[in-house]
Amino acid sequence: MARLQLEGLSKRYNEFYAARDIHLDVAEGEMLVLLGPSGCGKTTTLRMIAGFVEPSEGVIRIGGEDVTWHPPWKRSTGLVFQNYALFPHLTVARNLAFGLEMRRVEKSEIDRRVHDALAMVRLDHLADRLPRQLSGGQQQRVALARALVVRPDVLLLDEPLSNLDAKLREEVRIEIRALQQRLGITTVMVTHDQEEALSMADRLVVMKEGEVRQIGSQQELYERPVDRFVASFVGRSSFLRGRLADGILRTEGGLEVRCSDGPNGPAAVAIRPERVTVAREAPSAENVFPGEVEHVSYLGGSIDVRVRLSPKDVVVAQMPNVEGGWLPQAGDRVHAGWSASAKAFADTETEEGTAQVS
Amino acid sequence: MSDAGAGGRADRPSTLFSASTLIGPATLLVAIGILAPMLFLARYSLNLYDPRLLMIEAFSPANYIAFFSDPFYLGVFFTTLRVSFVCTAVCIVLGFPLAYLLARTGSRMKNLMIIGIVIPLFVGNAVRAAGWMTFFGSRGLLSVTLMDLGLRDGPTEIMFTETAVIIGIIAVNLPYMVLTLQSVLEGIDRNLEEAAFSLGAPPWTMFRRVLWPLALPGIAAGTILCFILAMNAYATPVLLGGPQFRMMAPMVYNQFQLNNWPLAAALAFILMATTLGLTVVAGLMTRQSFRG
Ligand SMILES: Nc1ncnc2c1ncn2[C@@H]1O[C@H](COP(=O)(O)OP(=O)(O)OP(=O)(O)O)[C@@H](O)[C@H]1O
Ligand SMILES: [Mg+2]
Repeated sequence: MARLQLEGLSKRYNEFYAARDIHLDVAEGEMLVLLGPSGCGKTTTLRMIAGFVEPSEGVIRIGGEDVTWHPPWKRSTGLVFQNYALFPHLTVARNLAFGLEMRRVEKSEIDRRVHDALAMVRLDHLADRLPRQLSGGQQQRVALARALVVRPDVLLLDEPLSNLDAKLREEVRIEIRALQQRLGITTVMVTHDQEEALSMADRLVVMKEGEVRQIGSQQELYERPVDRFVASFVGRSSFLRGRLADGILRTEGGLEVRCSDGPNGPAAVAIRPERVTVAREAPSAENVFPGEVEHVSYLGGSIDVRVRLSPKDVVVAQMPNVEGGWLPQAGDRVHAGWSASAKAFADTETEEGTAQVS
Repeated sequence: MSDAGAGGRADRPSTLFSASTLIGPATLLVAIGILAPMLFLARYSLNLYDPRLLMIEAFSPANYIAFFSDPFYLGVFFTTLRVSFVCTAVCIVLGFPLAYLLARTGSRMKNLMIIGIVIPLFVGNAVRAAGWMTFFGSRGLLSVTLMDLGLRDGPTEIMFTETAVIIGIIAVNLPYMVLTLQSVLEGIDRNLEEAAFSLGAPPWTMFRRVLWPLALPGIAAGTILCFILAMNAYATPVLLGGPQFRMMAPMVYNQFQLNNWPLAAALAFILMATTLGLTVVAGLMTRQSFRG
């Protein structure tokens, strides 16, 4: 257990930065989750911490010690692979014993710690099985136990849940988090599943194209995203695009939207679906526009309503599914309303036109 | 496992039928092409030789007794074993790193390297041995180079020595070893190596504890293949070893030429039985250590 610091860490392949100038400070016992789209450099960052990728620049510190140039076997990091990477020729117990044997722990001590670690993931009855005789979920827990049994300073998880089915994933998610908190182990996890990230992290790091875009708690990222990318990646947003002047965004479709102040010029305002009210009569809100329901998705717990406000502007509302409540239909004339606290961002990035909620 | 398989097949008898149809011709070919000559040989090896009558029908172990009591034959036998063991060992030591490199490099380089390894196999053993002759001779490339570099005063004579034969056989066998090992190493997930590293194993320990045991089936296959090829080498020992150097396969042929078919048959059988015996032992040993 130790503090983990990355200082200006970069990885360059020729001219291409897989990771660029990454600064992270993970407190002792904290769980940090790296979140970002495919190819943004999450795995590269994690593998630099584990020692499998040599950084082009920067420093890695574990417990204050500079380990940037230590080989993987001299770092106290426990790595859990996406495909678990259990040794197929060794039983579950011998898989767990491997790391302890490398540390020259006494035989009786090894037996005891292996047993405890297996009990911790509730697999003590499977100690003598070979990995191929286990289910995916069981293999996952063995991999976790194998990484933890050596009591590493830092636990590294690379998409540890992506090979599990949806139901199991939720279960293991809670289990890993509980274990991590009980052991108080400094952890860095990588995922591109935002629900996973939000439910497990102490703090999140949103990455894009090798760079860190924002670091913060769930609430900070959700309520105060620093840019349009973070707003679209953490939680859902509909974007209305136009020109911003003095807190008012004039969309191409002719709407005038009150929003949080932002830089004057081309901008987009991000509107969270659950903050939009849809009603037949105009609701009381700072922004209210008439529109036509384009599409209704009945999701059970909530109802997504897509409302066209102008030929160019669409907003999505997430309505709670209230018993006996009104259910809009496609084609209904309605009003959509939301507050002026919706965030506006400079609209420089073009590719995020696709990030609109559908 | 076999139960489940049998149950599955019972549901679809057509599979069974088509399988036997497919295996049939090969089985027949093996039976006629290999088994029949072996039976003849086995029978011949128990006959007696007479310089005038050539082969006399008999049921006598005389040829085998002659072999095991004659220091000359035993000498040839042990030379063959020694050469085969050395060649196989060197092939493992040289082949493993090469195979590992092949298994772990990117696609473009890899294809080139595989071609480089396979190309020598297009050249027959005899032609290749002839090439080595020009290299090994006292006025050959090796000798001249050593003298030019001042490493040796006089000419170096490797030609017609056991060393020349061993080098020659290694050159023939190495590609087989490399290709066998490569296919097995490729099947070993790279993450397993990294998992071992991150658990604190330095490279040599990782190799011993993870790579080697997982590659063992391939190492066994490559070793057996290499050993069989070395035991039965013919062209290389004849051409590079010269008239004074003898190994089993050329000696079998010599006896046939001398029309001593019974002894030739006995020699062939001893060669085959030894090879087979050691192969089985090697197989059992790897299976044992794979379990343990
Ligand atoms: N050895 C390499 N040589 C060249 N480029 C590489 C190498 N390894 C990774 N990259 C590139 O670096 C970028 C980041 O890769 P990385 O594996 O870190 O992404 P990731 O965020 O883990 O993505 P995913 O969610 O798909 O796993 C990618 O564009 C990838 O193509
Ligand atoms: Mg990745």
